[in-house]
Amino acid sequence: MERSRGIKNNNNNSSRGIEENIMAILDASGVKEARDADDDRLAFLEAVRAAFLVVEAGSPPPRKIFEAIFEILRDGTSLELTMASFQLLTELDKHYPNMNLSNSDTSELTGGRGSESIADRETWSPFALGPESAHSEREATSKNSADPIDSSGFSFLIQNIAQAPEEMKCLKYVKKSLVDMLLFKYLVNVLERDFFHRNIIHKETRNWFLLRESLLSMLLGSRRVSYKNLVKDCLSIISRCSHQTDVGLHSIPSLERSSDRVVHDVEVAPAVALLELQKETCVAVQNLFVLNMELDKAKKLAETQGCTSRADGVRTPVIEIIVDELAYNEDLLFPFLQAFSESRWKIEIILQYFWKYLPKPSVRTRRSRNTSVEDETFNAVLRSFSSDSSVRSIIKKISAETAQLLLAHSFQVRDFPLVFSYIKYNPIKNTLTNSRAQVVLITVTDSCGQIRLINSSNYKLQLHCMHEIWLSNIP
Amino acid sequence: MMKKVEDLNLLYHDAFKTKRKCKSNSLKAPIHLDDEEDIDQNSKEALLSHFVDECQKQVQGIKTDDEIPLWGLRVFGNQKSFPTSVLPEIQSCKLLQSFVNNDLNSGVELSVEKGQVFLEGLLINGWLARLALTGAHVEKSIARWVFNLMLYSSNEELRAAACDFWCSILPLKDEVDRNPIRIDWFPGFPELKGALEAYGFLLDSSVDFSSLAAKNIANPDSEGPPQNIRFWVKFLIACCQARYVNILIESQISTIISSSVAEKFLGVIICLFLERRLQGLSFLLYECMLSIISVFADEEWSTCCEKLAKSLARRTKKDLNCLRLVECISGVNPRSKQLRSELAFQILVICFNSKLMDIRNSRLLISINVKEKDCDFLLMYIYLALTENWLFSNPLMEEKPLILEIWGVYLRNCSCQITSTDMRSYASKVRNKASYLLQSTHRKDKE
Repeated sequence: MERSRGIKNNNNNSSRGIEENIMAILDASGVKEARDADDDRLAFLEAVRAAFLVVEAGSPPPRKIFEAIFEILRDGTSLELTMASFQLLTELDKHYPNMNLSNSDTSELTGGRGSESIADRETWSPFALGPESAHSEREATSKNSADPIDSSGFSFLIQNIAQAPEEMKCLKYVKKSLVDMLLFKYLVNVLERDFFHRNIIHKETRNWFLLRESLLSMLLGSRRVSYKNLVKDCLSIISRCSHQTDVGLHSIPSLERSSDRVVHDVEVAPAVALLELQKETCVAVQNLFVLNMELDKAKKLAETQGCTSRADGVRTPVIEIIVDELAYNEDLLFPFLQAFSESRWKIEIILQYFWKYLPKPSVRTRRSRNTSVEDETFNAVLRSFSSDSSVRSIIKKISAETAQLLLAHSFQVRDFPLVFSYIKYNPIKNTLTNSRAQVVLITVTDSCGQIRLINSSNYKLQLHCMHEIWLSNIP
Repeated sequence: MMKKVEDLNLLYHDAFKTKRKCKSNSLKAPIHLDDEEDIDQNSKEALLSHFVDECQKQVQGIKTDDEIPLWGLRVFGNQKSFPTSVLPEIQSCKLLQSFVNNDLNSGVELSVEKGQVFLEGLLINGWLARLALTGAHVEKSIARWVFNLMLYSSNEELRAAACDFWCSILPLKDEVDRNPIRIDWFPGFPELKGALEAYGFLLDSSVDFSSLAAKNIANPDSEGPPQNIRFWVKFLIACCQARYVNILIESQISTIISSSVAEKFLGVIICLFLERRLQGLSFLLYECMLSIISVFADEEWSTCCEKLAKSLARRTKKDLNCLRLVECISGVNPRSKQLRSELAFQILVICFNSKLMDIRNSRLLISINVKEKDCDFLLMYIYLALTENWLFSNPLMEEKPLILEIWGVYLRNCSCQITSTDMRSYASKVRNKASYLLQSTHRKDKE
């Protein structure tokens, strides 16, 4: 008994010892140059990697160490540090999934406060959410970069990415936006993991409380965030992503041809990474949307079951905001559909778009046993295109171009059997003639292969063809 | 260098004297404020500031003399000319023909000549991959055309779409229920290697790192790598992660990446970490490295690991780059730990003369131990870090108490015998690192 306590104490001491020892690397006492400080930070990151990833440590690094890594990421003093700290945080999170699932589960079942056991005091989180952060009324600018991010910080970050200058002419901007994008990517990963774990239990237990306490829900529920603006910013990130241009090694004029090799590399390296990170950011935005829609769906379910309370607040479902934005700003539609690839939610967005303009049929009554609600609604949309008069009225509300774009994407997402049926049955001959499937494909692609087809002289022909095929396929 | 320090010393003393005078003057100043004093004071201040400036210049001079090197190599030189992405054979591909010959083409007026543009559209909008997946077939000409676009097109949209095409037709390991797909042409080692060469990659597996520094003058206009390198890496990732048994390439089931090819590309990826300009893509490189490592069968891995480590160790110079090589291996899973440890070990073996090649024992460390204290501290730092990685990335080491003991002695030497006032470059770094490691080993022993 005595002995085991001794060992426990020893363990505690030793983990504190490791912490002190590693943190001492960062100790900046004594005169130092910038280079030395950077070297120390690199040595620190490497030491953390060695102590907690390479060697089996058993427990995740203590809070202080996480804070220090997070600070290095946000400070962005050098690209090397930024990348190394981002990589380390990502790998640590993978290595130590910091949610204690069994804990939250049992506390839920016993009616305890799940949030406490999940947001363990000892485990670090990059987010500062919930009631205690509401008290801190500090300005966003005066914040220490080691501090976790609160809801306004998060929306500020998204805003920064959305409004970053299109042409990165200056190294400072490039570096800043790299840090922003990496930070965003990391934060979305954290939100995703947290939500994912909770959602698994939620699916079994139908306990809304679990999801309500998720980081995402707390983040979006904060009154200090303009939710609508956040979604708008996200959409503009996506639309910017679609017109990327090549940022080659030499396309940044002010950086070009520095005679000094080292300086040259320092300047070129961030530019090289820019395109890739913009793409990654786009994916992160999409993931954020998907999480958000999952959350909305769960909330709706909870509402119908009477599990929500006033504390849940009222928030417009994200999908409605997205659809409104897309309908309002036509330039967004194409890049959005192009970038958004998660098929289940994509079709949902497309259907909602249509329902804004089409009379919603009473689907449920006609549902047959083998088709889902989604199938039914989709078929209902197609049926609306089935007569000349209704097509005409649709085109009045939605432009023909938009209608085709939406249809094309919905076909693509759903792997609409019609579109490719000929290939399925005729893989070797590769003959396309007399194949109705082909018609749709041509309809959605023009001679340049673009989805946007319509050219007013022949769009009627195509609509006619589509019409014919749908008719023959709609039950 | 020594002379400069002496000069500096002199300057400093002069400046100090002047400053003291100034100080005593300024004490009197409030009492005797006449013009003469003022002028005197001004000139002294000017003198002082002159000295300070002079000092600063000298200090800067010393710094550049003594500059600490950075890791980094120009891994890419001049790009070669890229193969053209216009393939005449694409016009005769069956897919295009079937579109053109379709009855309904009258409405669209697609011609064979415009075929490439048409296919580019299909590619960008994702239809080409859909067609391939539903038809479970990719024609040779299409496969080659898309591959070339991915690696050589300067149009970001096209090359990204081309990469997406390949990534989506290669089934992932967890997609068990997907139908097999017949791919009539699949890029092999020569194609991927050829692309690297076209980008100007210089570190072929036969090239010594030291030969690189000499011929590093590249024409800035054609300096590699192009942005396509991202897709090269991504394609490699997709190949490694693909579940190869279900892909029929050229009508037979084949492996996408053989272990010998994987070994070569693993070496390439590790070398890419040396290129400072690719730092921003390090997350891609990390992923690629782990994917390649996972390709090997268990029995292949150990031999490959040793072979690769030996080859890299032989080629690298004993500077900060060899540390970078070791540290870029993430060590997040057993195989990458093994590689990390092995590479560190092999570099050490070469550092300490090849006759110790086969003796994985303590003599290695003793020989570090006997190094004179006034030796190259940078080198000492490198040894220290390498040994650390060798020992601690390797779980077997726990069973070798003798080596660990000698390691302890070595650490104590480094941390105690170097004084904290030693201003030589890297002296304090060696000392700090050694005392950090000493602390953490002590802690381990206590447990």
